[in-house]
Amino acid sequence: VGGWFSSLFSGLFGTREMRILILGLDGAGKTTILYRLQVGEVVTTIPTIGFNVETVTYKNLKFQVWDLGGQTSIRPYWRCYYSNTDAVIYVVDSSDRDRMGISKSELVAMLEEEELKKAILVVFANKQDMEQAMTPAEVANSLGLPALKDRKWQIFKTSATKGTGLDEYNLHCSFFRHTSLHSHWVNE
Amino acid sequence: MFAKLKKKIAEEAATAPRTGVRMPRSYSKESITSAGADSGDDFASDGSSSRDDLSSQILRRNDQIRKLEAKLSDYAEQLRLMQKTKDKLEIALEKHQDSSMRKLQDQNETHQASRARMAEDMALALEKKDQEWKERMSILEQEKTSLALRLDEMLEQSLSLFQKRDDLDELEGFQQQELAKVKHMLLRKEEQLGQRERELQQKEAELHTTKKDLAEAQGKLWNLGVEHKEQCRINTELEIEREELLEVREEAEKKITELEERGQNLQKVIEQVSGDFQKSRRVAAGVEKSLRSLQTEHNALKLQQHKAAVTDEDKERVLLDLQEKVSSLERRLRGNLSEDELLRELLNEKSALEQKLEDTRAGLLEARTNHADTVSSLEAQISRLNNSVTELQTLLRHKDDSSKNYKQRTDAQIAGLEQQVLESSERLKSTEQQITDQQAHLDKLQVEWSVERDRLQQQVSAEQLQGQERAGQLQEQITALQRDRHTEHTSAQTRISELEEERASLLRGRDEADMALRRRTEKLEQARSELSSRQTVSVEIAMALEDTRRQKEELQLQVGEITASLQSASHRLALVTEQLKQREEELGTLRNELQSARNTRSQIQEEVERLRLMAQERQEEKDSQLVSLRQELLTQTEQLDSCQSRVSELEVEVETLTLQLQAPEVCETDQNGSVTVDDLDHMQKANRDLEQQLSDKNKTIKQLQQRLAELKRTLQKELKLKPETESEGKERVQDGRGERQERPDRIFPEPTPPPGPAPGPNTTVTNTSDLNDSREINFEYLKHVVLKFMSSREAEAFQLIKAVSVLLNFSREEEDMLKQTLEYKMSWFGSKPSPKGIVRPSVSGAPTHWS
Repeated sequence: VGGWFSSLFSGLFGTREMRILILGLDGAGKTTILYRLQVGEVVTTIPTIGFNVETVTYKNLKFQVWDLGGQTSIRPYWRCYYSNTDAVIYVVDSSDRDRMGISKSELVAMLEEEELKKAILVVFANKQDMEQAMTPAEVANSLGLPALKDRKWQIFKTSATKGTGLDEYNLHCSFFRHTSLHSHWVNE
Repeated sequence: MFAKLKKKIAEEAATAPRTGVRMPRSYSKESITSAGADSGDDFASDGSSSRDDLSSQILRRNDQIRKLEAKLSDYAEQLRLMQKTKDKLEIALEKHQDSSMRKLQDQNETHQASRARMAEDMALALEKKDQEWKERMSILEQEKTSLALRLDEMLEQSLSLFQKRDDLDELEGFQQQELAKVKHMLLRKEEQLGQRERELQQKEAELHTTKKDLAEAQGKLWNLGVEHKEQCRINTELEIEREELLEVREEAEKKITELEERGQNLQKVIEQVSGDFQKSRRVAAGVEKSLRSLQTEHNALKLQQHKAAVTDEDKERVLLDLQEKVSSLERRLRGNLSEDELLRELLNEKSALEQKLEDTRAGLLEARTNHADTVSSLEAQISRLNNSVTELQTLLRHKDDSSKNYKQRTDAQIAGLEQQVLESSERLKSTEQQITDQQAHLDKLQVEWSVERDRLQQQVSAEQLQGQERAGQLQEQITALQRDRHTEHTSAQTRISELEEERASLLRGRDEADMALRRRTEKLEQARSELSSRQTVSVEIAMALEDTRRQKEELQLQVGEITASLQSASHRLALVTEQLKQREEELGTLRNELQSARNTRSQIQEEVERLRLMAQERQEEKDSQLVSLRQELLTQTEQLDSCQSRVSELEVEVETLTLQLQAPEVCETDQNGSVTVDDLDHMQKANRDLEQQLSDKNKTIKQLQQRLAELKRTLQKELKLKPETESEGKERVQDGRGERQERPDRIFPEPTPPPGPAPGPNTTVTNTSDLNDSREINFEYLKHVVLKFMSSREAEAFQLIKAVSVLLNFSREEEDMLKQTLEYKMSWFGSKPSPKGIVRPSVSGAPTHWS
């Protein structure tokens, strides 16, 4: 009964925040992206042991953005955060060609999760300011994105340090291009 | 937090054997369940249990014993493993420490030496260069000062020249300005005059227009007069017509009177004619009487005529006899010729006889004529009478005819006259009617005419009035216009006069201006003369100027030379300054380099210090780790102790159980007993193992120190930490570790961990020997998650339940409990969830995480 009431009241008084996970290998720039999105500045970061959660407000909508640490030892804990996730931002270090395979396997493992079946996938081909950076198409191909079925995905080229591709418009495009999500969001 | 918890648990575990047999379980129950009040004591229920219960309990106990045995064997294995790892770790730590220390010292020394050398070299070179440049700078500055002095002099001379030229220019400018002013004033005056003339023309045009208006008005007036005249003419025409009509009427009246008169005359004639008729009748009667008398007379006369005719015949016979005797006497006179006197006497007698005859004859003729006369007269009378009678008869007849005719005529005439009269009367009537008509018409006409006349007169009067009004208006207008005109004229005149005055004034002004102009011209002339004089002066000045110019040119030439020299000097100076700058830049760069070198040195020093500190820290950490490891060792030994105690406890339990059951489980007790016997050996073995673990850890410390040294090297190379190397290192480490230890993600998929000692991530961490990073990371991760879980909002915390429960290996029930509590916290309603499901941790299989 309490749960029902609480759900009722949360529906009445507070809109549920949209839950977004930022995932990716260590050093891909997840934390930088998160703080770029939240405060619009480049902050100096240390390797995230654990996670960072911030609320990004855009057009009266709140996004609860979770930046989970991407180190190998704590990658298995990602799945603890999958429930009730609306969208996944998978950040890839475009200049790191060697670990693209690991990134792909992690992505595939993540997408196989039942809890993320309805989540939108947005891939950020980050570190585009680097000279040896792969193009978004190359990144998409190396991640095996074209082979994905039953999954809406988008890829953006970003540079967290330069701030390119991380303006509000892009974010908006990322999450509201999908009408299903939008309707879902409105219904919520 | 975690460490504390662990420590606490360890302490408790250490103290557990002393506190009693049942305590640890109950304590663990209490620790897991938040409200452990309702947790039943197994043994308490045992006492009052029946045999069935007992048998089931025994079965359970047996199971437990089996499990415990399995656990025990596990523990033993673990202990062995732990000791091995400990040894390995200790050895590794030591190695690592040694090598790292050595390397650190070596590097430090070499670095300091190189830095000192570099600093000295740099200082020497800098000093040398400084001295050289200072010398060159002093020389250049001297040159510069001398050149600057000369430049100043030249500048002063040129300045004085420029000032003179400026004065002259100023004077000319003033004169031109004054001329321009005068011209400007004249132009303005002329403009004003033109404006006034234009105004005058405008006024004249206005006057013309007014005059034209007046002429138009007069034309209108004239037109009106013409109309009036026409009207008058029409009037006179009408009057003439009227008069004519009156005349016609009079004529008609006259005609009527004439006709009447004629009628009267005709009646008179008729009366006369009737009178005449009566008279003629009377005359006819008298004439008839006379006719009868005359006929009687005529008869008498006829008789007398017969008697006169008979006497006439007698006389004619006597005449014939006498004519014979005259004829016989003539023959005798012819026959008696000679007898002339006798003849003469005879011819005398004959003449006398003839005379007598003639006399007789005359007498006879006379008588006869008398008679004839009388007869003729009678006959004439008769004829006359007859004539008259015939005449009278004819006349009578004629008269009768005539009378008849006359009568007829008169009758006819009368009839005609009557007819005429009738006609005339009719005519008269008609004429009268006509006249009356005409009169009526005339009257009408007269009336109409009068009306018309009146109307016309009215019209005329009205028109006259209008005309008069108009005339008056026009007159007024005219007068007004005249007045206006007059006024305008006057105004115009006044204006004209004003204008004239103005003009006069303007003329005067012009005159004045002319005068002024003249004066100005005079002035100008004066000025010109002055100017000429000045020009002469200026010519002189120009001459002087020319001279000065020449001088100046010379000076300029000099100056040019000097400037050339100056330029060259400045060029040189610039070059020198550039060189200086370059040198300065070089100096700056060198200084910067020095600074950077110093900075780098300081950085390096700092780094070195930092590294030293880090090393110290690491060492300290390692020491602490060592200590902790030792402590762990101790705790493990303690655990071992506890395990042993537990084993003993279990043994005791088993014994008690066996005692209670009195079942043939002697072999077990024997086994247990053997275990207790071998306890010391076990202990020693564990101790050895732990020592080995310690040595292993020391080894790992050494390895870590080696890695530290490597890191320092990379630091020195790039002064920044490449994430790749670190991650690679980590990857390497993790890969290496992955072989040895079970990956934690392999453990997660089991939603319900099986009861019993499931190897959780923490246990694996504690058990693995090569765990530095992963354990550190996992521990840190746990710490971070728990910290976040505690500090974050409920909504976020709700999301973290799973992570926490996975990390801490919570059971499903515990997780649910956490969720419910959070929901209860988040919602405004609902009751605090009763901690169900965790009531019996032994049954539900809540694992003892850190035992």
